[in-house]
Amino acid sequence: MSDIPALEVHGVSKKFGNAHALRDVSLTLRKGEVHSVIGENGAGKSTLMGIICGRLQPDTGTLQRDGKQVRFASPREAQSSGIAIAPQELNVLPMLSVAENIMIGAQPRGTFGISWSETRKLAEQFLHEIDEDIDTSTPMGELSAAHQQLVQIARATASHADVLIFDEPTAMLTDREAEKLFLFIARFKQRGGSVLYVSHRLNEILELSDSISVLRDGELVAQIDPAEATKEKMVNLMAGREVKSLHISGLRKQNNDQRETVLSVQNLTRKGEFEDISFDLRKGEILAISGLIGSGRTELGKCLFGLQPPDSGKVLINGREVVHSSPSDAIQNGLIYLPEERKKEGLFPLLSVAENICIASLDRFKGLFGLRQGAMVKRSAPYFSSMKLKAADPSIPISTLSGGNQQKAIIARWLMKECDILILDEPTRGIDVNAKFEIQALLTELTDKGLSIVFISSELQEVLDVSDRILVMHEGKMKGLVETNSVTQERLLQIAMT
Amino acid sequence: MTNINSIESQSGSSAMDRVKQVFRMDAIGILIALIVLCAAITIVAPHFLSGYNLTVLTRQASFVGLIALGQTLVLLIGGIDLSVGANSALSAVVGALLLTMYGVNPYLVIPLTMAFGMFLGLINGAIIANMRLSPFIVTLATWEIFAGLNLVITEGYPVRPLGAEFNWFGQASILGLPIPVLTFLLVAVILTWALGYTRFGRNIYSIGGNRTAAILVGIRVARVELFVYGISGMLAALAGILYASRMDSAQPSVGEAWLMPAITAAIIGGTSLSGGQGTIVGTVLGTLLMAALSNGMSLLNVSGFWERVVVGGVVLIAVLIDFIRRRR
Repeated sequence: MSDIPALEVHGVSKKFGNAHALRDVSLTLRKGEVHSVIGENGAGKSTLMGIICGRLQPDTGTLQRDGKQVRFASPREAQSSGIAIAPQELNVLPMLSVAENIMIGAQPRGTFGISWSETRKLAEQFLHEIDEDIDTSTPMGELSAAHQQLVQIARATASHADVLIFDEPTAMLTDREAEKLFLFIARFKQRGGSVLYVSHRLNEILELSDSISVLRDGELVAQIDPAEATKEKMVNLMAGREVKSLHISGLRKQNNDQRETVLSVQNLTRKGEFEDISFDLRKGEILAISGLIGSGRTELGKCLFGLQPPDSGKVLINGREVVHSSPSDAIQNGLIYLPEERKKEGLFPLLSVAENICIASLDRFKGLFGLRQGAMVKRSAPYFSSMKLKAADPSIPISTLSGGNQQKAIIARWLMKECDILILDEPTRGIDVNAKFEIQALLTELTDKGLSIVFISSELQEVLDVSDRILVMHEGKMKGLVETNSVTQERLLQIAMT
Repeated sequence: MTNINSIESQSGSSAMDRVKQVFRMDAIGILIALIVLCAAITIVAPHFLSGYNLTVLTRQASFVGLIALGQTLVLLIGGIDLSVGANSALSAVVGALLLTMYGVNPYLVIPLTMAFGMFLGLINGAIIANMRLSPFIVTLATWEIFAGLNLVITEGYPVRPLGAEFNWFGQASILGLPIPVLTFLLVAVILTWALGYTRFGRNIYSIGGNRTAAILVGIRVARVELFVYGISGMLAALAGILYASRMDSAQPSVGEAWLMPAITAAIIGGTSLSGGQGTIVGTVLGTLLMAALSNGMSLLNVSGFWERVVVGGVVLIAVLIDFIRRRR
């Protein structure tokens, strides 16, 4: 290995309007190392990665690639200099095949234009370095979100880059798939490739990194050696203060047994998605549904919400049988489902934060002359403080907020609607640790007021932290229903696999 | 999904699988509909299948068809080009004037007219791609501008006569196929190849399928968009000048009636208005279906007024079938 770093960032600053997204950030990525960048939501990680991959241009500061100064006007220019990114959000072409998604823009040519057999062969080569099970001829849209994410990573490697940027790569992956990714990163490193790694999962940061940079409010606050780092130290650096507890499991109350059942699901089946699911949700309880992606947990949530009809089985709310043929039926019965893909299914990006919060309760804001905008801003204000929702102004577009704050706003939407049963599908995915704890604590608080929650998550630790009971699903089947304080992560996996 | 997927997955499949694959292709529904329609018309009006009638039908279809092919590309990137009809008329008039006023060689007139039409299309493309303005509004405006310029130049009078040598393009046949029909088929073959086997073509599908993804993988989105509108303009001009040659007259009003049938043909053929989905084969079949419908009704002496009602109904049925198929 030569001593010239693969990439150097020198004094980069970037402003959006009046807000400093990045302030004088410098960072060195050596050849053959995994360099992690951590920070809370809104700390500037994505902006920094955007600048490195050519999606954004810095206001001041420079980039050096292999010792030479460079300027990337577009992602294309960064790619031709050997820098590729696997972005956090899924950005795929759902109608095209997996092979084409990997090779797009670089399809090999034969005598008569693109050679499809060659394209497929090459795509397979790249994909199989990461995952051997995905068929490259499947249309991309038919894959699960996790597999799409793996394909997206394969696409980044297909550009022959020697600097790869991973922005929250494991947010959608289950542990098994994440393991495959880590193996790939290790091999890539051995070949002399360098990796910039952004993640909220501190365990994997510790496991993977050769060096760690911490960003806070757009500034680089520390560079730490993973050998000396602990989770507590990292969290404190990210937050800039002492964070009291990493685990809130102590907060959960016991003895829910006597409480009445609010939601009863009996032998619910939807062919090809899940079968014979039965459980009771008690008042004030958090029931977690744990399972890998593809276990049918999201489909179950959608079915209860009336997005898809069940083939058989019964659903009872407060002892009365209900049939939800559309979400508005479910909402009327006080049952709300918060979708997994918040950007696609939950957010109105152009509307203000206040409107996003109030949109499910608009009938309350009807005035003589149409909707009362002022009232919406006023009525949503309490949620800003109670949920620690950080926004400069309730009337700015919600798309300007960070992911964690967007998620809080969507939860506030349904709290305003005053529902009894909340089904949350991966509510803390892609959110930084502190925002995550805040949301978890908020949910606990809400259950004290009588809200009942079904909490869907693929993160085992989180499931153990927040829930009273856990329903384990695997490949559409219910594998068990256990009390949270009687199990461990290992036991949960065991239940799922046997 | 697209025909490419079926091309890709051909290896190692049994005959039964192949039959199944054929029935999963997007264009198969419209092909069956076309065959059924032709059979039905033939039963009532046997001279539908006569060589003469088929020549008339396909020649009539080829002008709208050329525009529909360009429109398909535009729809695939998630755009729309409303200016094509006005472009056809304006380009035809400009081409006819080159011929009559400036005495340009007839063989040169056609490429020059196409270049002019492409220039008009590139204006659309440059505004839409670089300023990210809504294609609907931009092409609505240029539609008016092209139509207006046309009237300014011609004051509403047709440019004629164009001369026997030039009229050969619109009126002659090779191997029994009228030249406009041959042109239409040739363009369709080239575009099918380009969409399936060139990066330019695949980039078109990517942009329509997910623009953000296309930018992130380094596709020069603005450039592809620019050329797609350019091609649409070029094909509109080709249709216009061939029609002028066929009629021995470039009429200022000619293309106005072509816009809606062209979009309709593409949609019946399975092209999605939101981009990313559609095939050239589908559009060709859609064009033929529309032409057969119109021709059949005139053979059966159905009033021309009813024709529009029927065409609208067909579009609705096509969209419904697509909806049912996708839900399955």
